[in-house]
Amino acid sequence: MSEITAPIETRPEEPSHTAGRWIRDNLFSSVSNTIQTVVFSAIVLGLLRWILGQVFSEDADWSSVATNLRLLMSYNYPTEQFVRIWVAAAAIFLMLGLSLGAWGIDPGFSVRRSARTLISTGVFALVVRLLLPSSTPDAIAMAMIVIGVVAIVIGGVVMRAVPKSSDRRVSFTAALGVMVGLVLAVVWLVPFGSYGVAEGERYAVPGVTVASSTKVPWTIVLLLVFFAQILGRRLGVSVGSVIRRSIVAFWVIGPAFIIFLVLRDPSFDWAHVWSTDVPMAAAFALGGGALLYALGRPGRDDLARVVGALLLALALFHWVAAFFGWYPMLQKARISFLLIALAVLLVPTFAGERSARVRFAGAWVGFMVVLHWLITGINTPSTLEISAPPFLGGLVLTVGIAYYVMLVSFPLGVLLSLARTSKMPIFRVMSTTYIEVIRGVPLITVLFFFSIMLPLFLPRGMGISDLAAVFAGYTVFSAAYMAENIRGGLQSVRRGQYEAADALGLTTVQRTTLIVLPQALRVSIPNLVGQAIATFKETSLIAIVGGFDLLRIANSTIPNQPDFLGQKRPGLLFISLVYFVVAYTMSKSSQRLEARLQAGQAR
Amino acid sequence: MSIADQALTDDLAARRDMIVCRGVKKWFGDFQALRGVDVTVKDREVMVVLGPSGSGKSTLIRCINRLEVHQEGDIVVDGVELTNDTRNIEKIRSEVGMVFQQFNLFPHLTVLDNITLAPIWVRKKAKAEAERTAMELLERVGIPEQAAKFPGQLSGGQQQRVAIARSLAMEPKIMLFDEPTSALDPEMIAEVLDVMKDLARGGMTMMVVTHEMGFAREVADRLVFMESGDVVEVGTPEHFFTNPKEERTKLFLSQIL
Repeated sequence: MSEITAPIETRPEEPSHTAGRWIRDNLFSSVSNTIQTVVFSAIVLGLLRWILGQVFSEDADWSSVATNLRLLMSYNYPTEQFVRIWVAAAAIFLMLGLSLGAWGIDPGFSVRRSARTLISTGVFALVVRLLLPSSTPDAIAMAMIVIGVVAIVIGGVVMRAVPKSSDRRVSFTAALGVMVGLVLAVVWLVPFGSYGVAEGERYAVPGVTVASSTKVPWTIVLLLVFFAQILGRRLGVSVGSVIRRSIVAFWVIGPAFIIFLVLRDPSFDWAHVWSTDVPMAAAFALGGGALLYALGRPGRDDLARVVGALLLALALFHWVAAFFGWYPMLQKARISFLLIALAVLLVPTFAGERSARVRFAGAWVGFMVVLHWLITGINTPSTLEISAPPFLGGLVLTVGIAYYVMLVSFPLGVLLSLARTSKMPIFRVMSTTYIEVIRGVPLITVLFFFSIMLPLFLPRGMGISDLAAVFAGYTVFSAAYMAENIRGGLQSVRRGQYEAADALGLTTVQRTTLIVLPQALRVSIPNLVGQAIATFKETSLIAIVGGFDLLRIANSTIPNQPDFLGQKRPGLLFISLVYFVVAYTMSKSSQRLEARLQAGQAR
Repeated sequence: MSIADQALTDDLAARRDMIVCRGVKKWFGDFQALRGVDVTVKDREVMVVLGPSGSGKSTLIRCINRLEVHQEGDIVVDGVELTNDTRNIEKIRSEVGMVFQQFNLFPHLTVLDNITLAPIWVRKKAKAEAERTAMELLERVGIPEQAAKFPGQLSGGQQQRVAIARSLAMEPKIMLFDEPTSALDPEMIAEVLDVMKDLARGGMTMMVVTHEMGFAREVADRLVFMESGDVVEVGTPEHFFTNPKEERTKLFLSQIL
């Protein structure tokens, strides 16, 4: 065959066009294009000028933000307990770094592309310098020029050094290192200003860097991300599946521990946990597990039924006794007795070989541990119940609510969407009704309902904290939208996929979790991230039901402080920046995730 | 002699029944796709189903592993009757391999994972063992070097061979082929047919819906000709290609050959 191969022509070199050429071709190619360019540049520059004027106006007292940074971050969280928030943050960032490394599939960044970004950043800095109002401090004007020139020079040198055809990439680790380094340099070097405390009042100290109590923990946390990423990459190579499974387990179980860490009452009674809760959980888990294992042996079906019936009678007797108050017993003991009775009655269905019995008994042990832990957690006094003044707010509240709402509403949304596309009419109708009702009601209404109306419907003696009520409201709302996003993905999975899965003998559950959902969720990523960003921003509605989130602090708390009366602008600009940075990060990471998943299965 | 047993040689007649269809009827809405089909496939037999489009041949083999539900008649696969009992259906499906016209590989999984998925989750095999078997099967269909790729990176012929390997990984007793080469570019048809011929020689019980007459003539033990949901004629390849009995068969063969 080789002799008939046509000679391969090399592709002609593309003319290397200069920046001037590019500008002419793309911005001033025709009269109408020139007019558009001029008009829209004027609008954009004018807008930028106006924003800069707001930022550096003489009326804007930025010490209102610098002094209140702590308020904006965590509101009234007791200072001496701050270490708990930092530990929680460190845990999350550590696992984030490990995850980034252990999967290690990020292809890094193209060198030329990064250089181009650097140059545009530099140009932007110089433009900003030109538009700065005269009231701007000289140091900032100077910094803009330095940043602009340095960025353009570095970018230009790299562009010259790396040939156009090169696809050299900066590794993700290196890029992360640069980012962490930049943030740390800014935190340690730039004199944002700080605050001091005299006679119980906070006052601004301009011209110094951020307080050590802020920058030291941030340094530790950011370095953790960096080194965890490297460690994760190493571990990912040597013990890949183990480390990846552990990380997934952390992301599933971790949040519950973290919320416990942040919210539990400082004077928490560990003695009761060790003397009562843990032994009781262990007794039911291990005793029940052993019983189930023993009764599961083939041929003991009748014995299991008799024991089950006896246990059921005993369990019901406990409830009767509780009703008449004959003898004291913890409610969870009664619940556990009832559950073990039901489990024993189920034994004949699951009995069989050793492995089947081990699995059944194991499931019981796991279930008991989780159940007792949850019951204990619910009954544990937490700082949530400290009614006034609200102690948790600011960025921690905003991020926390958004994070947990997404965490809980995502699986709910998956279930709802599956129910809505299910063949079983009862599920379909229930799910459709739920989704349509929730989507037809404004979020504020849902939040009011949960924070004001819900407590009225609860049985007497049962309360729900404001935070939990708001959280429930957001979750209920977000789940409906998630469900619709995922349904779009489900519909994109072709029928042949279902048939192929069926033809291989997969059960419906296996078909859904192994074949359908992975494909559907992949398609839904852009919409799901859009929903996540929306949820993150909508947390600002907590303010109307009494929470102190970023917006409320910037819009009403700070302007009411005697030192900063009426100072709304800096705070609002600051929180806009915070919202933007978080939302933009989410959006960018989702784009990278999508690109990566697509690269794997190019059609 | 019923139509289902037509053209049975003594050798075939002595074998065990693997698939038995008796009076199978199937409606899509008001449209009757199958009008009482009687077919028996014997152990290690290769049966090729022919017919114009819309004749119900795909519907018939899709009924055999219950991707479609027939409304009347009986289907018995390897001694197990198809009913609404889900456990029965799953058992039959795990023992009947199916190859589709559109391959239907799982696009989010690598070739290797496509093949090992069912053995691991349905047969509860250890991962290492399943992967070893999968590599042997890829060897057998001639594309072991593609194991780590995703289906979207393979040609149609390669994808269909992966699909066959995926079905074989379940060690099925019966293989159903629903127009396996109809979606392929002409130059890729041969590579898939070669794999199927190999399988037939290895003694697999196969039921194949196809328009590949060369394959039918060379490999089939018996041919079934269907039209409008009816079995018109059953016979050996020799009988079909030299001396078909029915007018409709003659007409169809004259159009296609």
